[in-house]
Amino acid sequence: MADAAPAKRTPSDFLKDVIGRRVVVQLRTGTTFRGVLASLDGFMNIAMEQTEEWKDGHLSSKLGDAFIRGNNVLYISAVKKRG
Amino acid sequence: MASAAAGSTLLPLALVDKCTGSRIWVLMQDNREIVGTLRGFDEYVNMVLDDAIEYVTVGTTQTEVARLEQMLLNGCNIAAMVPGSEASPFREPAE
Amino acid sequence: MASSSVERPIDLVRLSLDERVLVKCRGDREIRGRLHAFDEHMNLMLGDAEETHVTTEKDPTTGEELSKTSKRTMDMLFVRGDVVILVSPPLRTA
Repeated sequence: MADAAPAKRTPSDFLKDVIGRRVVVQLRTGTTFRGVLASLDGFMNIAMEQTEEWKDGHLSSKLGDAFIRGNNVLYISAVKKRG
Repeated sequence: MASAAAGSTLLPLALVDKCTGSRIWVLMQDNREIVGTLRGFDEYVNMVLDDAIEYVTVGTTQTEVARLEQMLLNGCNIAAMVPGSEASPFREPAE
Repeated sequence: MASSSVERPIDLVRLSLDERVLVKCRGDREIRGRLHAFDEHMNLMLGDAEETHVTTEKDPTTGEELSKTSKRTMDMLFVRGDVVILVSPPLRTA
């Protein structure tokens, strides 16, 4: 299946890969959550640990564990794995 | 009319699939735009993008707000896509 | 942390049953209450709930940002799932 040089990555490949990593979750409202991705489902519902809420570039609260309902999620991003 | 029906055998998402591996410009339902290298997508048009840039456009001013090495973009909020393109800002019409 | 037992995101909510949770809703509403029940839509039933509504206004003379916090309490509250943004259990400080 490895047809192109960087292999195709479907959303489900991305999700498997990103569990346990530090992520940034951007909501439609503009609020950002930063933390460690604990779990995720097909609705893009998210369970996070060490969750921080950022609004307008400022840390607005530390929440610890959090469940985020998937319909509010604009995107989930992570930094690339090194090496 | 027959040709229109025949034309529909080429699905829009088949064209997006041809864009895999190249840059794509995504316009969201709000004033955000995201440009990135398309790695893959699914039936909801959720998209995996690498080396993405997120812009917010207010009026005609486009501002870069984030650079994202890897991302999964929720398909629900997508309004339109431009395969093979970087973001281009609005321009005042030429005189 | 509870990560070992969180297989699906909704498990985190299940583990928060009977705890006082923070619920963030659309429209800058925050509700704290004891989580009695939830379903797959994230419809919630909260007991001893306290709703906090924060409004920010600019002072017309000084231009200073003023945030007004108003609270109200309900004995039992049903929250419709589609307004829920986030559910967070209390910080576990061991």
